[in-house]
Amino acid sequence: MLKVLVPVDGSKNSDRAVAYAIGFIANSKTPVELHVLNVQLPIVSGGVRMFFKREDIEAYYQDSGQEALRAARERLDQAGQAYVQQVRVGSLGETIADYAKEQHCDHIVMGTRGLSAVSGMVLGSVATKVIHLTDVPVILVK
Amino acid sequence: MFEWGSNPQFWLGLLQIVWIDIILSGDNAVVIALACRRLPSHQQRVAILAGTGAAIALRVTMATVVTLLLEISWLKLIGSVLLLWIAIKLLAPQDEEGGEGASIGNLWQAIRTIVIADFVMSLDNVIGIAAAAKGSVLLLTLGLMISIPLIVFSSTVILRFMGRYPWIVTLGGALLGYIAGEMAVTDRAVTGWIAEHAPVLHIAGPALGIVFVVVAGKLLAARAARPA
Repeated sequence: MLKVLVPVDGSKNSDRAVAYAIGFIANSKTPVELHVLNVQLPIVSGGVRMFFKREDIEAYYQDSGQEALRAARERLDQAGQAYVQQVRVGSLGETIADYAKEQHCDHIVMGTRGLSAVSGMVLGSVATKVIHLTDVPVILVK
Repeated sequence: MFEWGSNPQFWLGLLQIVWIDIILSGDNAVVIALACRRLPSHQQRVAILAGTGAAIALRVTMATVVTLLLEISWLKLIGSVLLLWIAIKLLAPQDEEGGEGASIGNLWQAIRTIVIADFVMSLDNVIGIAAAAKGSVLLLTLGLMISIPLIVFSSTVILRFMGRYPWIVTLGGALLGYIAGEMAVTDRAVTGWIAEHAPVLHIAGPALGIVFVVVAGKLLAARAARPA
């Protein structure tokens, strides 16, 4: 069985990656387990954490993550595609690569914003980071 | 004192203030989102309005108080130490500690949490603005005016952007270090001595501030990265 990971952030690009993955799985001869992952940046700073309960902060991340996954879920449900969904907190590239390793994923399918050469160099992209960190093949969907 | 428009010092000061506002105002959005999570939507609006109003009032009051205090001997030195601490805290990796706050079940608790959290967090912002304004009432007012829409319309977009592009925060930390150094050497208690014995400190102070903050931030990050 193949395991395919699609990191999703709720953008049009990640939506296209989900659509591509559905087609990819439909054409695959071996059965595929699909994982959709949303990574939330750790935006709750140490100062803010003082004032809230750990469970509330975790629930807040989960809510934001579920919101980002909504379009992907709808598309997958419509296509009748089974999937595992997960929300993690951390820096984007590292968390995606770590998840792929931990879950023994065979492929990563991800959207890319297709940054121009200059902004791509200055800002870097999540896709670039993932390619750099992971050992598995990465399919980029533009 | 600064003049409108023609003075590059003025624009530089304004740029510094905008940057400080951006990196030190974003937390407000998360505080409100977290405090209001469990409230019904009609109460959420009340909590957001009350919390935002309180945040603005707190900032204006504290900025005035801080500016007045900075005129007193030694207090600029103390302020610059505080600012260095704020800057290092900004660059140091966030610890996962905390999360011991009270549970928020009703409107009153939500507003109270927003106000207390704002008080603590606007202190960073206000000390930064007051230091960068260097006694200019115009810059201080502009700094506050810019930070207010950032609070009112604050969204987690700013924080996500900072999370993706950490250099924005690094540069902000360095800026705070620079301002801290600049403030330390202009304290009334030491200006006379510096002018006579070590005028070089006017350049070296801010530079040392930057180096201190960036090096301390890097060391803390390296220590956190080491597996326990």
